[in-house]
Amino acid sequence: MIYIFTALYCEAHAFIRHFHLEKNPKNTRFQEFYSETADIRLVVTGIGEIAAAAAVGSVCAEYKPKEEDVLLNIGTCAHRSGTAGVFVCNKLTEQATGKTFYPDILYSHNFDEEAVVTGMQPWNREKDGAEAPLAFSDGNLYDMEAAAIYQAGSYYFGPHQMVFLKIVSDSGEAKEVLAKQVEQLMEACQDELFDLVKQLPEILCQDAQKENCLWTEKEAMLEKLCTDMHCSKVMRDMLKQHIRYLELSGTDYVSVIQEMYREGLFPCKDKREGKLRFEELKRRLF
Amino acid sequence: MKSLKEDYFNAFFSHIYVEESVRKLPRTQEILSKFPSAKIIEIGHYKDVFCRSKQSFTLQHRSQNLILAAKQGTLIYEGAPVCQSFGNDYFYYTSCMMNCVFDCEYCYLKGMYPSANIVIFVNLEDIFAQVEEMLKSHPMYLCVSYDTDLLALEQIIGYAGKWCAFTEKHENLKIEIRTKCANKQYARDARLLPGVIYAFTLSPQTVIDACEHQTPALKERLSCAAEMVKRGIPVRLCFDPMIYLPGWKQYYEEMLRQVYDTIDLVKIVDVSVGSFRISQDYLKKMRRQEPDTAVVWFPFQNEDGFYHYPNELMEQMESFLTERLEEKISKEKIFRWKE
Repeated sequence: MIYIFTALYCEAHAFIRHFHLEKNPKNTRFQEFYSETADIRLVVTGIGEIAAAAAVGSVCAEYKPKEEDVLLNIGTCAHRSGTAGVFVCNKLTEQATGKTFYPDILYSHNFDEEAVVTGMQPWNREKDGAEAPLAFSDGNLYDMEAAAIYQAGSYYFGPHQMVFLKIVSDSGEAKEVLAKQVEQLMEACQDELFDLVKQLPEILCQDAQKENCLWTEKEAMLEKLCTDMHCSKVMRDMLKQHIRYLELSGTDYVSVIQEMYREGLFPCKDKREGKLRFEELKRRLF
Repeated sequence: MKSLKEDYFNAFFSHIYVEESVRKLPRTQEILSKFPSAKIIEIGHYKDVFCRSKQSFTLQHRSQNLILAAKQGTLIYEGAPVCQSFGNDYFYYTSCMMNCVFDCEYCYLKGMYPSANIVIFVNLEDIFAQVEEMLKSHPMYLCVSYDTDLLALEQIIGYAGKWCAFTEKHENLKIEIRTKCANKQYARDARLLPGVIYAFTLSPQTVIDACEHQTPALKERLSCAAEMVKRGIPVRLCFDPMIYLPGWKQYYEEMLRQVYDTIDLVKIVDVSVGSFRISQDYLKKMRRQEPDTAVVWFPFQNEDGFYHYPNELMEQMESFLTERLEEKISKEKIFRWKE
């Protein structure tokens, strides 16, 4: 599942349309859109750190992200010099606290990278000065959610699962950015963004699937063996541990167990005999 | 857009995190100059990156990044109880680098560190200063390549060479440089220094293929060790950790045959023998990080907080190797790990 968080509906619109996301009417606090087939859940958080953190916390508490899931924050931002483009953020600094966060940049991409400063107020160049919010940072981007989303997200996601994409909309003239302009900005780079959305979860899924496959097949056999050996909780865990190792190491333990069934060593008549047979099983396998 | 499917991960050291306080140091600049296309990210403290919660050691290992930092606080540590002291009274180790470019499935670093990124401490001279201070009161046996493989990054940082030069100036200092590396050029150029022991960790090729990813083949490691032995350089062979695989005896037998064929064992300093053992805390973390890795999911025996192979198997493995080695090397030169 990929969890997309945008501050504004106009930042989300292109994704909702392209991935045919449906609105979830049960979520009355935040606008939430999802698609089971695309495996996407998109949430419009509202503007600012508090709103963003609340939305991430609320949605993650409800759906409990897994290790193969991804958090993607997409939104517009200001650039120190107004350079247009899409940026992957490799450093997020919270202006209010000075705390800095570093999402892993493990996956290759074709975007430029930048550091972003997250502030509580829109950056108004005229009022605040040309450098004010970025003065203490080596970054060029300024937004109002990224650092908060990272902090809230880190309760549920690792740094390798969080991606922050910022599209430059202005250079500190916040009042001039209209919803229509944001939609146009998003549309201009939508193909690249859609590709990323489609491909990111695949990377993280690879490892997760292996483990799942391993156990679904063998679970039934293990259950039967535990019952036939009259296993206590401790012995059951030990048996599971042994079977897990044997499975991973590619040892043909199934035929050894089947042979013991053929020899009449399984099922056991009681727990005591089960312990003896477990020792015999280990002797034959190691 | 470039398809992520074709090439998911960034190249090694595509991103270099640099502590602000060391950014302008000549050594930092020298290291950075070797990675002209890397993205440099300035950080406050290396732990801000290295110690983040919920990091994936496995995924990070596919795209390892570099962190350049200054080591503070304790610079020299007393040797750990699970490590072999080789009969030395004042046994210490130091970490001028954390983590390793090699990806051994059983490596304790996966349980010890929260991140797979490599930290290079650029203030090596501070470590030298502390060693010099300690040497005033007693001699030292110092392992400088424990939580890393210094020789694997020698072309980038040159720390092994710097340690050798430092040892030359201090008669009462003996260092061990442990490695799985097979840097032939280094082996050919290394100088004979009585205070420097090169310790080659050796495993059967089957174990290397199964568990020691990105490491040089046994043949290559032996070739480097042999080159050094031939030139009279002190060399130690470490058959530690021995790893259990079904059919282990045959694999270790074959490995010994290759060792005997390549190296004149009479000339080596000593050998160490020990089967895999690890603290329970580290193993717990490793199993979480490596759910599909057989070697860490072995049903080990827990004894006083340390996991090891069941006593009978441990005895079989270590005795087998020790007895075979005793046919070629005097007993005094064989150090079998004992708790």
